[in-house]
Amino acid sequence: MTLCQLFLQPDAAYSCISELGELGIVQFRDLNPNVNSFQRKYVNEVRRCEEMERKLRFLETEIKKDELPIYDPEDNPDAPKPREMIDLEATFEKLDHELKEINTNADALLRNFNELTELKHNLTMTQGFFDDAEMAFTPAHNRNQRDSDDDQVQLLYEYSMISHNKLGFITGVVPRERMVAFERMLWRVCRGNVFLRQAEIPELIEDPVSGEKLHKTVFVVFFQGEQLKNRVQKICEGFRANIYPCPENPHERRELAMGVMTRLEDLTVVLSQTQDHRQRVLAATSRNLRTWQIKVKKIKAIYHTMNMFNNDVARKCLIAECWAPVSELDRIQLALRKGSEASGGGTVSSVLNRMVTREQPPTHHKLNKFTQGFQNLVDAYGVATYREINPMPFVLITFPFLFAVMFGDAGHGILVTIFALWMVLKERSLKDKWRNQEVWTIFFGGRYIILLMGIFSIYTGIIYNDVFSKSLNIFGSSWRVRFGDDTLAKHDSVILEPTPFNYTRSADYRQMFSGTPYPIGLDPVWQLADNKITYTNSVKMKFAIIIGITQMGFGLFLSLWNHLHFNHRHAIYLEFLPQIIFLACIFFYLIILIFYKWTSFDGSKATDAPSLLIHLINMILFSYKTDPPSAAVFYTGQKQFQTFLILLAVLCVPWMLLGKPVYRIIMNKRRANYSTVTNHAAGNDSDVEEQHQEEFHDPAEKRGVVLDADVRDTDTEDMLDDEHSHQQHHQHEVEMSEVWVEQGIHTIEYFLGCISHTASYLRLWALSLAHAQLSEVLWHMILHLGLSMNGYGGAIASFFVFMPWSSLTVFILLLMEGLSAFLHALRLHWVEFQSKFYKGEGYPFVPFSFRLLLDEAPVEA
Amino acid sequence: MKDDLLFNLDHGYAEGLCRGFKSGILKAADYHNLVQCETLEDLRLHLQSTDYGNFLANEASPLTVNVIDDRLREKTVQEFQHLRNVSYEPLSTFLDYITYAYMIDNIILLITGTLHQRAIGDLLPRCHPLGSFEQLGAITVADTPAQLYTAVLVDTPLAPYFIDCISEHDLDELNVEIIRSTLYKAYLEDFYNFCKKLGGITAEVMCEILAFEADRRAFMITINSFDTGLTQDERAKLYPTCGHLHPDGLQELRRTDNYDAVRDVASRYPQYKILFEGSGTNSGDKTIEDKFFEHEVKLNMNAFLRQFHFGIFYAYLKLKEQENRNIIWIAECIAQKHRARIDNYIPIF
Repeated sequence: MTLCQLFLQPDAAYSCISELGELGIVQFRDLNPNVNSFQRKYVNEVRRCEEMERKLRFLETEIKKDELPIYDPEDNPDAPKPREMIDLEATFEKLDHELKEINTNADALLRNFNELTELKHNLTMTQGFFDDAEMAFTPAHNRNQRDSDDDQVQLLYEYSMISHNKLGFITGVVPRERMVAFERMLWRVCRGNVFLRQAEIPELIEDPVSGEKLHKTVFVVFFQGEQLKNRVQKICEGFRANIYPCPENPHERRELAMGVMTRLEDLTVVLSQTQDHRQRVLAATSRNLRTWQIKVKKIKAIYHTMNMFNNDVARKCLIAECWAPVSELDRIQLALRKGSEASGGGTVSSVLNRMVTREQPPTHHKLNKFTQGFQNLVDAYGVATYREINPMPFVLITFPFLFAVMFGDAGHGILVTIFALWMVLKERSLKDKWRNQEVWTIFFGGRYIILLMGIFSIYTGIIYNDVFSKSLNIFGSSWRVRFGDDTLAKHDSVILEPTPFNYTRSADYRQMFSGTPYPIGLDPVWQLADNKITYTNSVKMKFAIIIGITQMGFGLFLSLWNHLHFNHRHAIYLEFLPQIIFLACIFFYLIILIFYKWTSFDGSKATDAPSLLIHLINMILFSYKTDPPSAAVFYTGQKQFQTFLILLAVLCVPWMLLGKPVYRIIMNKRRANYSTVTNHAAGNDSDVEEQHQEEFHDPAEKRGVVLDADVRDTDTEDMLDDEHSHQQHHQHEVEMSEVWVEQGIHTIEYFLGCISHTASYLRLWALSLAHAQLSEVLWHMILHLGLSMNGYGGAIASFFVFMPWSSLTVFILLLMEGLSAFLHALRLHWVEFQSKFYKGEGYPFVPFSFRLLLDEAPVEA
Repeated sequence: MKDDLLFNLDHGYAEGLCRGFKSGILKAADYHNLVQCETLEDLRLHLQSTDYGNFLANEASPLTVNVIDDRLREKTVQEFQHLRNVSYEPLSTFLDYITYAYMIDNIILLITGTLHQRAIGDLLPRCHPLGSFEQLGAITVADTPAQLYTAVLVDTPLAPYFIDCISEHDLDELNVEIIRSTLYKAYLEDFYNFCKKLGGITAEVMCEILAFEADRRAFMITINSFDTGLTQDERAKLYPTCGHLHPDGLQELRRTDNYDAVRDVASRYPQYKILFEGSGTNSGDKTIEDKFFEHEVKLNMNAFLRQFHFGIFYAYLKLKEQENRNIIWIAECIAQKHRARIDNYIPIF
């Protein structure tokens, strides 16, 4: 990774950036952080892009409104040249304008249409009222058949006849939910002097003003006198009721209705034509929409990038600063050259200039789709400090392995593997499917992790000889039961001994163990044993310890690598050595004892084999008893040797605690002497030197380069570096107390951590035990019920019982247990493994890349 | 204490939302950038980088101040209504109380509008959406306050406030202002009592804010009533009695007849003394209204310092309104190329 300076011709800059964007390996730095977004150079272009985006969004909503398909382009369109931008703008403008015109026309037509529809309903409904009234007015002999409503109507008419005063009326349409309030208001304002009839329009009606689909009600208000009429009209206005004229005379009403019908039919024809036209325009647009969107997005990104550049007026060029991987510099040069050519014979080609900086560069890992997932696991803890060892390649293997140790069941492993394989093989077609389903994207993103986890689980399952909690007897057990029937009948349980020294009736016993162990994994005969758990616990616990300590030791050696790379020689002697010696003295020794016990004690001596746990405790307490046989020593001279180890380990604590701060004090002193000497000796030279120094520092400071002031990273060389010393000298003295505190914490953390982390690795055993027990419980409580029944009933029961068993297996054992094992494995890596060497204080490399840009913001957003 | 324990059970989500919304209020740095804008387009670009996001993105150029105003109001209303929708009792009643003030404003707006012969269709869109109610449109029916009451207001929550203004006089402009003040007085007192009844921190915070609101109204009524036909007794009836001025200060305000006298009354109350001293009538000075606004902002900001109370909802809405006024002020200054007074907005943070 190197900091580069780019000198770009203003004309060529655009196409150069476009090429770099396609390449996507350069991270630009903002050189004008203090400038407001609207005061930057290319803000007008950005604004034009936003305007285009707005128009495209408008087009898209219109297309979506008509439910037309939007075609995704197969190829990736290049960012158009600045000249084409004008064409694009013109095209969009035209389309936008055209569509808006169509819309206004259609809106006017539609409003007309809706009004007519309302009028039509109004007429048909009021027709009903008037017919009722007419009926009521016909001779009175059918009066007793009428309901009370008709009575009212009739009263109304009678009243109008008596007073010789024609009643006025207003008809109209009002949204149904406002009807109640409307009615009450009418009644209040007119003091009950109006008569209201209403009828609900059965279908949804589009409101002429807002265009929403609403339930509406037709109403007729009868009243008397001008004043009431005014009031009713005002109320109608207030409630936004649409009032429609309705002739009083039935004949005119019929004519009006006819007229409305014909006009409606005409309008339908016109409307469908406009709709067709609109469809054609939109269909043409929808084909290009995505391409356009990508193009505009690219233009906008380019101008945003160019806004970050420094504009050098005097030299007529743009200056950019960027981080780029050293190995990719050739490709960048090539892209720049291509860019300059594309822009049409830029006389001066763009210049790429590597710069020296003290700033920490961003961290960039070359990844592929397989390693990506694992890198994400590591990065979730912290992005690696620049050039620090990246634990990803090791995590790649250890993570699925530790997971599998906890998840050890070949049957479950196969299911997981099949699921992961499906995702991996169908990768292409699944990639864009369910993109918005968060849970799915998590699974899909980790498909290779899941695949490895599945495969490793099959392996550990075979070692544990566990398939859905049952053992496979592939090679034939090494054990035979040769008791006679009478012996078996007498005892509830019998003991199989590899070396039957307790029994005297010898011939049978000798053949119970064939002498060669089961070729791979656990002997299936343990499946029948009462003490299976005792046995597997002992084995799994020891393995957990072995795996854990090995991994921690490995982590320590990785820290050695870091020290070597960063040239922190003092750290090797003052940190790495005490750490590794401490670990070796206590924990590596424990591993050796484990192996020693495994190899040197066989069945005949099993009962009085020394206990490892007691031994470890006694070793630290310096107590060597002989009382129970399990406390006996493994070998002669053990006491002396162990005492020596403990003393050595204890010695490591002050070594590490004091080493580094003392070293630092010495270095400070030495440097102080050095600088005073040089200052006194070379009075004149120092001026020159300082000048030189200023020259070096000034431009860097102007650009806001942060000088590296982190204590832990400044090592021997940095400290001797005289350029640095002037500025940092003062700082270091102040920070000495901080160094002490930090080193104290660091020391305590490591030594206590060694013990607690070793204990923490026992989760490997605990989870694996839990998993095995859970799956056994599931088998025995559920599936066993069906399988143990006789006859046809058993078949049917098995059928019914399989469903709960399989779903519980998937949900509890695969998903929940899998998740828990995953989290524990993650914790073991983050806390127990990475804490030994990984700082994770870097920041990620975010290249300017069109591909990333288009991926992260899906086009439909 | 018990209230604090159980507060989050019902109102925790709404409070969290409200505090989240509040953190989107523009900071001094944002204002600093806003006043540097040359055109409204710049303003839009800058607002994009704040919490407002893309709220103007779909507006065609050229942008006008009216569009910005509409969008700002829309956004505020949307946020408030979201809060109202997720609220439980008694928070929802509290939020409803806040909207009553807007109802009063709307009613007065419509009545004055109709007095000036404006069509109801033009007036309705200008009403504040928070204060709209079903019968609002029919307000033009009424010619006298009595009719207004029986026809329109009787079904609204404002009905009890209106009891004092029922009369058979015709509606004219002075009348309308009196109605407004009476309604406000009744409303503020009712709201004040409601907050008192809620008790706890809500009462502490809200009563302080409402008391200030009441006093501000008393001051403004007094100042605005000089040289009008309003008698001292009529004026005294309009003073809300839930403020710090009640009862002595109000008595004295009743007797004042010029600005200096008002200032004398205020000088007896330390919190108002500062405000009146800081204001002036010269062109460069801040007006007393601005001073009041600043004080209001301060009170509202203080509301956010306490937890487990409803005051923040009120305070948030008020702050948001102030922010909208600020943005509109800046936008107007930009649009009219009147940059000299662009800094006269009222800073919030």
